[in-house]
Amino acid sequence: MIKNLVKFGATISVAALMLTGCEHQDFVNINEDATRVSVNHISPEMQAVRDYVPPFAVMAHRGSTFWAPEETEAAWRWAREMGADYLESDLQCSKDGVILANHDDNLCRTTDIENVYGEYVPHTRKQFYIDHGCTPAEAEKLYKRDVATFRPYNASSYMYEELLALDAGSWFNESSMEQAREGFVNKQLYISSLEDQIKYAEGKRLKRDAEGKRIYKITGKWDDKNSVGKFNHSLTYTFEYEDDPADTGNRPGIYIEFKESWLNPSDFEERVYAELDRLGWNIITKPESDTAFYRNGKVNVGNTNGKVILQTFSLQSLGRTAQKFEGKVPMCFLLWAGKGATDLKEVTPAGYADFINLALANKAHIIGPCIAGAPNNYPELNAPWMAYLIKKSGMLNHPYSFDSYAQMGKYFGLYNWGNTVPFDDLLHGIYGDGAFTNRTELTLKYFIDNGLRSKDAAQTVREPVEVLEALGY
Amino acid sequence: MKKYYFLPVFAVMALASTAVHAQDFDSDPVIKVENKSEEVKFTVGARFMADAAYYHSDYTPVKSGAAITDARIRTSMSYKDWYFYADFDFSGGKFSQKNIFLQYTLPTECGFHAFKAGYYNNPASMNNNTSRGSMHFIARPGAVSALSIGRELGISYKFYNDKFFANQGIFAENKYNDQIAGFQGVSVGGRWLYRPINDKQNTLHVGATFRYAKISTGEVISGNVLKTSHSMGTALETYVDKFQFVSATMPWADNIYNFSVEALYKTPDFFVRGEYLYKAVTKDRDDETLFFNGLGSIDSWGSLESWRGGNPLGTNNFMGGYIEAGYKIFGGDYRYSNEDGVLKGLNGKSLEVVARYSFTGLNDLVDGEYYSAARDQYYPNGVIADYPATSKSIGGGNMHSATVGLNYAFNKFAQFMVSYTYNHLDRDKYVYDKNFHVLQGRLVFQF
Repeated sequence: MIKNLVKFGATISVAALMLTGCEHQDFVNINEDATRVSVNHISPEMQAVRDYVPPFAVMAHRGSTFWAPEETEAAWRWAREMGADYLESDLQCSKDGVILANHDDNLCRTTDIENVYGEYVPHTRKQFYIDHGCTPAEAEKLYKRDVATFRPYNASSYMYEELLALDAGSWFNESSMEQAREGFVNKQLYISSLEDQIKYAEGKRLKRDAEGKRIYKITGKWDDKNSVGKFNHSLTYTFEYEDDPADTGNRPGIYIEFKESWLNPSDFEERVYAELDRLGWNIITKPESDTAFYRNGKVNVGNTNGKVILQTFSLQSLGRTAQKFEGKVPMCFLLWAGKGATDLKEVTPAGYADFINLALANKAHIIGPCIAGAPNNYPELNAPWMAYLIKKSGMLNHPYSFDSYAQMGKYFGLYNWGNTVPFDDLLHGIYGDGAFTNRTELTLKYFIDNGLRSKDAAQTVREPVEVLEALGY
Repeated sequence: MKKYYFLPVFAVMALASTAVHAQDFDSDPVIKVENKSEEVKFTVGARFMADAAYYHSDYTPVKSGAAITDARIRTSMSYKDWYFYADFDFSGGKFSQKNIFLQYTLPTECGFHAFKAGYYNNPASMNNNTSRGSMHFIARPGAVSALSIGRELGISYKFYNDKFFANQGIFAENKYNDQIAGFQGVSVGGRWLYRPINDKQNTLHVGATFRYAKISTGEVISGNVLKTSHSMGTALETYVDKFQFVSATMPWADNIYNFSVEALYKTPDFFVRGEYLYKAVTKDRDDETLFFNGLGSIDSWGSLESWRGGNPLGTNNFMGGYIEAGYKIFGGDYRYSNEDGVLKGLNGKSLEVVARYSFTGLNDLVDGEYYSAARDQYYPNGVIADYPATSKSIGGGNMHSATVGLNYAFNKFAQFMVSYTYNHLDRDKYVYDKNFHVLQGRLVFQF
């Protein structure tokens, strides 16, 4: 009897195991996993800073790359006049310490540097040293050192004055023939400084001489001891600006990126802090009392505490920014998927949540994920479950970069066709709190048409070409 | 026509049989053909194991289901003191080479001297020298899977009698010499036991093992640098889903040292045994060549010292162990093999209850390092940099496993096993996976 019972029990157990095993074929459900990973929540103090940023902010990505040469006077003046909330830029540093705007790790794509300097130290370099206080022997010594360590086409290898000799506009007419304009060539476009970007946001433009060249002067004496790495900051550039006659009163903020750590000096965040201070755009030392993002239908972000947003992909810069700015200025941690030094390698809820938590630990308020879709076809880092994790953390979501109406429709609810979709309790089908856009006019119009744009902001969008013409391009 | 060539071979083998044990089975094969006048004996046998498992995990799904985990055909031939054995596995729909060796045994007054050559288990492990069919557990302990030594191609010498057991040999790292590049590497290993108690009823043995391996296989990188690598890991003490939640890969592995101590005690109705395993992996790299091959760019390291500073190498140490016990409720007595120094499987119709605790330690972490789950990367000194120095940490995971099981042998050919295992994982990479529950059963047929 006992034997039979044992046999029967064994047989039933095996059968039960096999059946239950077969019926519970679990698989990874990424939406479900997203609800199970741990994301921290932004603190009340950080929320207050987060709320400096207007909802559904429109960031003119490099000034809007579709319409004008990126990160130039033309692009940013146009973006300002179109009504973008922020003029976006990528900050690097010249050899003589001027904070400038350039996206790539070299200047080949956006200037004529290959024709002007080739792969050599500019022939004017020795004279530059002599003009700024060095003896010929000292200049010769410095020049030889520069030759030995020269990295061609990298902004940090050149004095800013040398960079001002480059044409930052003509390339655009060759690469974007349908948007080409004579003004991008005739009115010489320069590699912009951070100060330029701020002045454009303030309604200014470059002051030029009779030949159309920008007016500036350099003071100080080259002192090699005044260096951090290969960057020297013993010289001072003074640029001149004037009121922009085409200014219609928009006062956007600036959204500035600290580029990869190896491109910039190790104290770069401190330098930017000081530069913002000098230009009156550091809300830590000079807070704004105005809280209206829009006033009389005009953008007013540049007059509020949301006037500056910092951003970076760099893990190193994220930490340094936290140390210097202490979370008192809105900060965005940008995400890119890949195997590079700062990329999100583990594109899973656990990996994504880890980067959100890292951002929060480093006093960031915003996550900036890349989005999929033509023409750039970036990796998808703003899927609904990703947007959910960001929202759950209380951070803002500023995805990049929008080039088409289809992308706007995908990430801002239209293409869900009114259906209830995953995470709707938090997201309501909207996967962003703003947008880095190469088509400022398109994004503005989408936000207006779909009721996402503040009613205090302008409810019409100017014609892009008309604005370019009005600006003299 | 070709098949007829095999007939005489088969016939000769069939004519040659004496009763000899097998390496990976401890039951006698059913098919025995013996020619006593020629002192030749031939055997053929087979084994089949089907497992079914149900898993429950905190986060990462583990695939429940059923699988053929063992489908073995074995054959042996013996002539006087010579013994040839081979077995092959077809589980998973794939052929895999298991044991194939030739052994000569010389009986003497003080004991047996055995000389063995071929592909078989390195002697430096008690558990891996215990046939899977004799394990009393559905899966080997995680510590053994991760840290112990398996089959290798080589030669060995063994001496044993009632009191002593000494088995040592020299082996090749790669049994097919099909490494991408490099000399195939070599290892030496041995196992030494002392049996203070060893009679028909009870056995107690204590012992130790040691193995040294020189890793010499790898791939050629940077033009002329051999990059070696060593991997290890374990599943959740199950074979239905073999995903290794505990695992580690170490590039530039150079020398591997395995050391273990073990003890086994058995009575007719009870057994307990265990091993403590330690493993050290030293590394070596042709720094100078890599450094010089990397020169010629503006991004080149400025000096060999700075290159080494950014790419440090270090020795990694791992450990684990297990203790397991069984109690026979009814059936034949527990048996011990003097020849192999291991416990044999169930003896005819039997019922037993077993339990085991195992610890697998593949975490070798440097204090103060920061782990990024987003990048699956350790950052030395806790500093999150864009280009940090290479970490010396190995976050392979620590796992505690506790198992209880019930085994019933219908007869000497068929056995049913059922067990429950709780695994507790501590691995940075799987931060949300802490608890794994494994309920599994097995049917075994062997003849």
